[in-house]
Amino acid sequence: MATRSISSRIGAVLAAPVIWLARLLNLPLKWWQGMTGTGGMAAFFLAPNMAIFGIFVLLPLVINFAYSMTSGQALFLSDRSYVGGEQYARLMDCGNYLDPTTCREDLFWIALRNTALFVVVQVSMMTVVAMITALILNREIRGRGFWRAVFFFPVLLSPVVVGLIWRWILQREGLLNFILYNVGLEPHVWLTDRFYSFVATVGVSVWAHMGFYTLILLAGLQAIPRDLYEAAEMDGTRAGRVFWRITLPLLMPNLLVVIVLALIRAVQIFDEAYVLTGGGPGTSTLYLTQYIYEVGFASLLRNPGLAAAASIIMGLILVVLTLIQLGLGRRNEKAGERK
Amino acid sequence: MGQITLSDIQRAYGNVKVLHDINLDIADGEFVVLVGPSGCGKSTLLRLLSGLDKPTAGRIEIDGKDVTQVSAADRGLAMVFQSYALYPHMSVRQNLAFGLENIQMPKAEIAERITEAARMLEITDYLDRRPGQLSGGQKQRVAIGRAVVRNPTAFLLDEPLSNLDAELRISTRAEISALHDRLKTTMIYVTHDQVEAMTLADRIVVMRAGRIEQVGRPLDLYNTPANLFVAGFIGAPRMNLLPVKIAEAGPQSVRVEGAGGLSIMVAADGSALQPGTDATLGIRPHDIRTGTGGDGSFTATVDLMEALGPETVAHATTDDGQKILAVLNGQDTTKAGDGISFAFDAGRTHLFDAEGQRLPPPRT
Amino acid sequence: MSRVAEFLTRRRGGSGWDWTDIFTWVWLIAGIFVMFGPAVWLVLSSFKTPAALAEFPPTVLPMATEQVMVEGYDNPLELYSVSMPDGSEQVLAQVRRVGTIAQMVDPDAPDEIVKVNIAERTPQRRVAFATENYVVPLEQNDFLLYLRNSVFVTVMATIITLLTNSMAAFALSKYRFRGRDGVMLLIVATLMVPLSVILVPLYSVVNAVGLFDSLWGVILPTVATPTGVFLLRQYMLTIPDELLDAARMDHASEWQIYWRIILPLAAPALAVLAIFSIVWRWNDFLWPLVVLSRKELYTLQVGLNTYAGELNVQWHYILAMTVVTMIPVVLVFVFLQRYITAGIAGSGLK
Repeated sequence: MATRSISSRIGAVLAAPVIWLARLLNLPLKWWQGMTGTGGMAAFFLAPNMAIFGIFVLLPLVINFAYSMTSGQALFLSDRSYVGGEQYARLMDCGNYLDPTTCREDLFWIALRNTALFVVVQVSMMTVVAMITALILNREIRGRGFWRAVFFFPVLLSPVVVGLIWRWILQREGLLNFILYNVGLEPHVWLTDRFYSFVATVGVSVWAHMGFYTLILLAGLQAIPRDLYEAAEMDGTRAGRVFWRITLPLLMPNLLVVIVLALIRAVQIFDEAYVLTGGGPGTSTLYLTQYIYEVGFASLLRNPGLAAAASIIMGLILVVLTLIQLGLGRRNEKAGERK
Repeated sequence: MGQITLSDIQRAYGNVKVLHDINLDIADGEFVVLVGPSGCGKSTLLRLLSGLDKPTAGRIEIDGKDVTQVSAADRGLAMVFQSYALYPHMSVRQNLAFGLENIQMPKAEIAERITEAARMLEITDYLDRRPGQLSGGQKQRVAIGRAVVRNPTAFLLDEPLSNLDAELRISTRAEISALHDRLKTTMIYVTHDQVEAMTLADRIVVMRAGRIEQVGRPLDLYNTPANLFVAGFIGAPRMNLLPVKIAEAGPQSVRVEGAGGLSIMVAADGSALQPGTDATLGIRPHDIRTGTGGDGSFTATVDLMEALGPETVAHATTDDGQKILAVLNGQDTTKAGDGISFAFDAGRTHLFDAEGQRLPPPRT
Repeated sequence: MSRVAEFLTRRRGGSGWDWTDIFTWVWLIAGIFVMFGPAVWLVLSSFKTPAALAEFPPTVLPMATEQVMVEGYDNPLELYSVSMPDGSEQVLAQVRRVGTIAQMVDPDAPDEIVKVNIAERTPQRRVAFATENYVVPLEQNDFLLYLRNSVFVTVMATIITLLTNSMAAFALSKYRFRGRDGVMLLIVATLMVPLSVILVPLYSVVNAVGLFDSLWGVILPTVATPTGVFLLRQYMLTIPDELLDAARMDHASEWQIYWRIILPLAAPALAVLAIFSIVWRWNDFLWPLVVLSRKELYTLQVGLNTYAGELNVQWHYILAMTVVTMIPVVLVFVFLQRYITAGIAGSGLK
């Protein structure tokens, strides 16, 4: 009951400005309904959202392709000169694809390599940590709601806040070094070391997002019927076997969702890494989105066409990952039907 | 006034026709029940009447005015929905007032109408509760109240009792009947329950597969069902339908023969029939008695005897495997497995031809 | 104490501890420190003076050296506890420090200067909250402006999101029209189009419609959220169609059905979307960073990043402003965490 009243109260407050507008709109809309019927009303209800959606999502999506085939610094498409696939050719111009220094756009390849590395390390860490946490939260512990909240807390923080908090903790004379110093370990200059700054971006993004994935896994775990575990207990199944033979297979759909969602998000890593390290030291934490941002907006010799081409390549990577997700989802559905 | 005429109404969803050429006249103040199995199109017909849905072809007139293209709100009708469709976020009072506010009725008149309707339906005590706090029966009254305050030219009721338990259904049925007597407003009532149809209706419209099978007063349908479908649908327990062969057929009478030594002369116009063709003989379970002393009789084997005290329900099987149900007066000692002989009168039988249509009455 | 221990360790079936129980509690306790610790550390640090921030090792609580006004000196002097040559302890105020020698005075006898080796003195310290870290940037820098911009963006974007998304969701859940499934598919498909993929063309579109370097340029591209439409539509599908029919019989126009019936009934879903929208828009960084160029239009996130990127990072202000930036989200977390977690578990949405 309490949940209902609170949420409906929030709804009432949010609806307050709408009510005034709504009363005002009723007469002209009645006329419109009379003229066009319910079909016209459907169009009316869709119009604002679809107009904004069309202008700010669909249109950019379409002209991104045109953009990527032009060159120059001009902003509007009409002022830009058509160059065909030149921007793509420039991105792909490499002596040896495994060695970014041989590429014409070496930063792109460095960003791509860093992102790939980041994705692999971050997603595997994320999955393992979220899985362990979800398994623990699914045990019969006291105050489960509280513990769940503990791990969820950083999810809501803004990436800038996350970046700044950790920059403060990881600085040379920060909290982490103080703790390491006190337990007799060697302090590091975390954020100006090529290796450790990469580790820091991975660790911080796992810290910031693991609560989200833990929730999805926990929901999956709680959907597994209790009596399956009781039956296994009656059979005298060992705990490890229960995990591998019951928990994991039944959790698979959620686990796949978690992995693919984490992959898609990891490919787009930008905010917290940018605030934390700014891509440095050097280019050790330069990721794809930052590359697009810098080429498109921040650098002196900005090249929107090149940034557009790079963003399309990134979009393709995301499409592939999404298709994998859809494919896996369908396979799961089929598996479910067979059961 | 609430006189409604439907002419040649059709409704199709894509290629699927759910109503075929419906013609129906409803007089002012009449209580008409649309009855039929689920999927027969009765609810669709009600929605077409209400204006919530529009027919593919045909004309709907209310009090002589063509309203086919008029919107639901402007037809002056009120509807009681199967799920009651009470606005869950409004109090009972607000539920009743909503429709009146929408037509800018003065506040005082709204309050007056609500008071009147609430008194009539005995819902005054919970006018300020929300639907979620009401029992099923109370919600039902509120749903009816919402229709009553509108003072409509006709009420449309879509299976209004189907969400109530058996006991409440019977009492609410009586109340709806009383309400109709009092308001004298046209009511069109959809149900799949033939008992509701029999008890409530001035006239029943039996529908099947998008067509009207028969229209008539309840007892007319019971006594002279026009075809096998109506015969089987109206009356509980269901009419026994025995396959028979025509033995003799004339314009005054028809003699049919069936299993278990059955042979009977029925008064009907059989001049169109050929001897030897198939027909169906219908006998209601209440019209069967034991023994051989009647216009017709046949033998069967008892499967089960259900002693209810004042009467006994006999389940039996004829020689050719036909299931027979008989409601026998008083108590009977026949046991399962025993042979039994059933007798009945020709005047209480119903004879249908091979197409399932009732034979016309004898020529005079 | 033993009762507490018993309470904490009680397990199903009363059996003893095994390694999984130990691991569970180690993980959970460590979780508190790792998850909450950084934020707590941030808050504690934000109340430290620049001098205390530069200290290593750092203190847990914000400390400040006590100060006292001494007759004959214009500025307050710092108090130290000094081991005097005669072995006694005395509290003296430091006038200045030259090399390893500090010139100090007794606050009660301000005329006589005592020279003390700095190794012989320890600062008199007590817990003190440097609230000026908060007051100064809000008063003197542009942070109040950034705060106002952020609030404006968040509130407007959330209102527009709720309105347009709920209207679209209503049309997509309660009307049958040609192309409905197509529209739905289009919306769901763009769930996978992140901002970074359309960053460059979106920038030019926003420029073309004249919204560059304006707060509306930050707001509008974010409001047609496919997630919001999807979430609301799923919820509205559970509202029975008979209610709408009843309202139509009750002379309600379609618009009245939307705002008198659908909106109030979808309030729980609207509340969830509102919470998400507030968090999203408050936290947005990349898009405002791209579209805003005048400093006075910056949102808190962009402003913070700009200050943190300066050569001479003024950590005491930045930490304080980071806390300010965090406050709304922490409030949301404390009061509405249950709805959010339920929403995520139910829909996999973030």
